[in-house]
Amino acid sequence: MKKVYLSLLTCMIFIPFFSQAEVRINGFASIYGGKTLDNDESIYGYSDDIDWQNGSLFAVQLSSDLSEGLSATAQILARGNNDFNAEFEWAYLTYSISDNAQISTGKMRIPFYRYSDFLDVGYAYRWAKPPQSVYNLNFSTYEGVSYLYTSYLSEWDSSLQLIYGAVDTEFSAITDSDKGQLKDTFGVNWSLSNDWFTARLAYLVTETTIDLSGSAELSALIGGLQAYGLTGQSNNIEVMEDDSYFAAVGIGINYENILLDAEYTEFEIDNSIFAKQQQYYISLGYQFDSVTLSLTYENNDDENSRDQFNQVPRAITGPNGIEIPVVVPNSEPAIYLQDLTNSALASQRASSDTYSFAFKYDFHTSATFKAQLTKLEDDITGVNTGLLIFGVDLVF
Amino acid sequence: MKNLIVLMALLLVSSFAANAGVDVIVHPSNANAIDANTIKKIFTGKAKSFADGSKALPLTQGDSSAVTSEFNEKVLKKSSSQLKAYWSKLVFTGKGTPPKEASSDAEVLSLVANNPNLIGFVKQGSADGSVKVIQSF
Repeated sequence: MKKVYLSLLTCMIFIPFFSQAEVRINGFASIYGGKTLDNDESIYGYSDDIDWQNGSLFAVQLSSDLSEGLSATAQILARGNNDFNAEFEWAYLTYSISDNAQISTGKMRIPFYRYSDFLDVGYAYRWAKPPQSVYNLNFSTYEGVSYLYTSYLSEWDSSLQLIYGAVDTEFSAITDSDKGQLKDTFGVNWSLSNDWFTARLAYLVTETTIDLSGSAELSALIGGLQAYGLTGQSNNIEVMEDDSYFAAVGIGINYENILLDAEYTEFEIDNSIFAKQQQYYISLGYQFDSVTLSLTYENNDDENSRDQFNQVPRAITGPNGIEIPVVVPNSEPAIYLQDLTNSALASQRASSDTYSFAFKYDFHTSATFKAQLTKLEDDITGVNTGLLIFGVDLVF
Repeated sequence: MKNLIVLMALLLVSSFAANAGVDVIVHPSNANAIDANTIKKIFTGKAKSFADGSKALPLTQGDSSAVTSEFNEKVLKKSSSQLKAYWSKLVFTGKGTPPKEASSDAEVLSLVANNPNLIGFVKQGSADGSVKVIQSF
């Protein structure tokens, strides 16, 4: 796939010689430092040793109008948490059907969140790091098509996006790199806004596959269930082309100097080890000329439903009518697969509250300084973690 | 002391210059009714055509010029940081391109005088007969 982007880029560079189209170069960068406030704590990839890579990135975007409504865009992004290896984050062609409608194809951003489209462009929002309870999916792009229709009804702007495509990536599901795919991903993303108010709805459905072989315990459990012929039960752990959905609702207010943002999201992979996840944040801000202060509260709640538990029998009936206990072979005392399955499902439970205070100072027309103090309270473990991050975002 | 007076005079002049007023101009053949709201839509990429259906191409001036700040504040109701953040959102998502920039009032005048699709702004009073002033702010 990389080759395709490379040839797209090559095309864009050479096109000017043929058609006199101009190539626009824009870019953005963020340099962030951060550390947790107490010893031996870690959160969002930060530890108590100050780190300058995790939140830092550098990107260049090339775009070219190829006339007749066709344009090509490629964004090359180097992330600090990926050793600043430059990769194609986006690469797509856009065709303007009319003033109001455009269709794009290639590698693009999945519209999960209100700020998805410019998640990496820190300059465009007021937090040093968007609320992580909601902005928690570790993948952000898909390959496919997107149709965008914009319309204006007096003071209101409506923007409707429809997407279809697929994702092939490493998820951060059980380990930090679980190979997986999303296929037949359909999504609708609609927002309505006026000068000071924005409302947004998004709904996506897909078929999810995630390789769980990174977890020895889960692999052993799945193997054990299959050895007893309990395929239905093992399918309820495995993530094999399972129906999944993602739903989001959000609002944004920017009235005079007051800023208010709130988003709620939920998603679930049916018949899988993974719990239904529900999360929201609400953030209130105030803008004093070039300084913006924000207070944010986030809540996350993940839980597998009651009816997913106790699906594994404690014993099955063998060919001669003999009761065979469903246990780990040779375990003494017997370890029942029912108990192991229940505890695997229960291990997906998560619940947390997060509080943040963010400071943003626009010290230059193209650059902004931000500092953010975040405290996460894990309601399951009772552990509180504090984090300080600060840095500069710029656009050019 | 003399230096101080010169400095104060300069400050006064520049503060007058900052509030000099802005004329929005189009080609003399452009007969469309263009109100403040339409100008705002064209300069924020929300409208791409004039009322008669012909293409509308906005032309701005450099970030640092006084007439640009005044236009952004009075017409677009945004500070230059807010406007930059607004365009960042569109540029880095392929949803829009900011207006092209001219380097001076004189360049805006000569470009607009020669292209019926352009709409630009200049310091109040600098427009000549080669263009049509449609609104003043």
